[in-house]
Amino acid sequence: MSSSIILHIDDKADYFGLVLKTKSEGLVLGRPEGVSYGQQSSGSGGPGAKPILLREPCDLCGGDPRCVKICPTGCLSLEV
Amino acid sequence: MNLRNGRAIVFDLHSKTSVEQALPEAKDLEAVSATKVADGLIAQHGNDCLVLGTGVLTGSLVPASCCGIVRCGGQRPKTVPLLGFLGTELKMSGFDFVVIKGVAQSPGYLWIRDGVAEFLESKEMSSMDSWARTDKIRADQGDSKIQVVAAGPWGDAGLGSSQLVTNYWGGEDKVGMAAEFGKRGVSAVAFRGMGELELASPEQHFDEALLLIREHIERLGKSRGLASYSEIAARDDFAKLAHRHVACYGCPFPCRTFLKTSEDPGELRLVSKEPGYLHYDLAALEKAFQLGADASTASEVIATCAKAGAEPVAVMSQMERMGKTCTLEEAEEVVGQPAEIPLTGATNFERSFENPREYDECLGLGLCPRYWAKVGYDLEKIASSAGSGLGWSPK
Repeated sequence: MSSSIILHIDDKADYFGLVLKTKSEGLVLGRPEGVSYGQQSSGSGGPGAKPILLREPCDLCGGDPRCVKICPTGCLSLEV
Repeated sequence: MNLRNGRAIVFDLHSKTSVEQALPEAKDLEAVSATKVADGLIAQHGNDCLVLGTGVLTGSLVPASCCGIVRCGGQRPKTVPLLGFLGTELKMSGFDFVVIKGVAQSPGYLWIRDGVAEFLESKEMSSMDSWARTDKIRADQGDSKIQVVAAGPWGDAGLGSSQLVTNYWGGEDKVGMAAEFGKRGVSAVAFRGMGELELASPEQHFDEALLLIREHIERLGKSRGLASYSEIAARDDFAKLAHRHVACYGCPFPCRTFLKTSEDPGELRLVSKEPGYLHYDLAALEKAFQLGADASTASEVIATCAKAGAEPVAVMSQMERMGKTCTLEEAEEVVGQPAEIPLTGATNFERSFENPREYDECLGLGLCPRYWAKVGYDLEKIASSAGSGLGWSPK
């Protein structure tokens, strides 16, 4: 079981989002003000970005993503 | 060893050297309790040791499995929970426990990542508050996701009324553990790791954890953040400033509510670097409100205490004794002159359970006591869910 998703977070401002490594669009960064593609912002850069860069792109777990199922606060959903 | 790294690191601050120590395999939840293992390590390495550790379920898929601990020995052993992402990050750094021995020759911070530990001297850090220490470590190491537990000037002074601060927030340390950092010349301990944990039956562990989460969410209903745990956070002035509710690792029912005091709570963009404060310290809020502060002032006063690494209930009680009002200016005056003031016996997470033994047991497993007391602490169900991850049937 592996993961293709990490948190993008700025603790002091309590500002956060998610970074997902996709097959088609590379890294997708979801933040409160919208979605961006390709590069990560500085907030997700540095060594902290390694875990997502080294991982497999998301395959949606074959169509029924586990991250959506187990997201503890129900923040994640799948749009087809 | 499933769900664990199976090793501790023993770091000698004086010589700045470390050795790894294998942890014995045990198939009994009591025997692998973080507190029990920490006590064993303290007995082995000396009563003056400080131990940071994780529970057997920390970082698992069991709901709210976020906790780590800081434990010190001596005549009156003390424990502080580590919430947020501290416990999980410690385990991902490659160690289940960190034993800190001796006293540093010069102050600095212990930096633990991916199976490596080093003590970085930093005299500069001694003049910083706890927030600046977290900022400095993250900037120096180039990673905003580093998890930091820091003392502040009050801890450096070895004061019993100091508090450890996790990243920027306070609420875990009601026993003056920050003084134990200060006495050893440790300004902060920082963790980061890209480790992975083995699971005996990943699919089964996932499915069982999912069932538990769904059952809990159905039972608990919609989260109102800290107000779901205490009416003290249900006040109108508190609710008006609430920006969002923040969960620790793996928690489906967050108890942390971020109040924006320096900008519009409706602002979603990253604008201000210090827009407010993350509340989960019930005792501090109760004291501030008792002294007549509103939610905004309470946030400012508690943030001031967090920066100084001073326990806020003790500080506000001191302000009360001195006849001061509960304002930011008065708080800054008191925390700006670190002095020995009495701890009041205030509790935060400790009050979650009426039975202290259950609190210790829950924390020792790596589970959040506040969440599990709320949802109904059921060791049998926890053991069932844990078994598929551990590969043995917990007793």
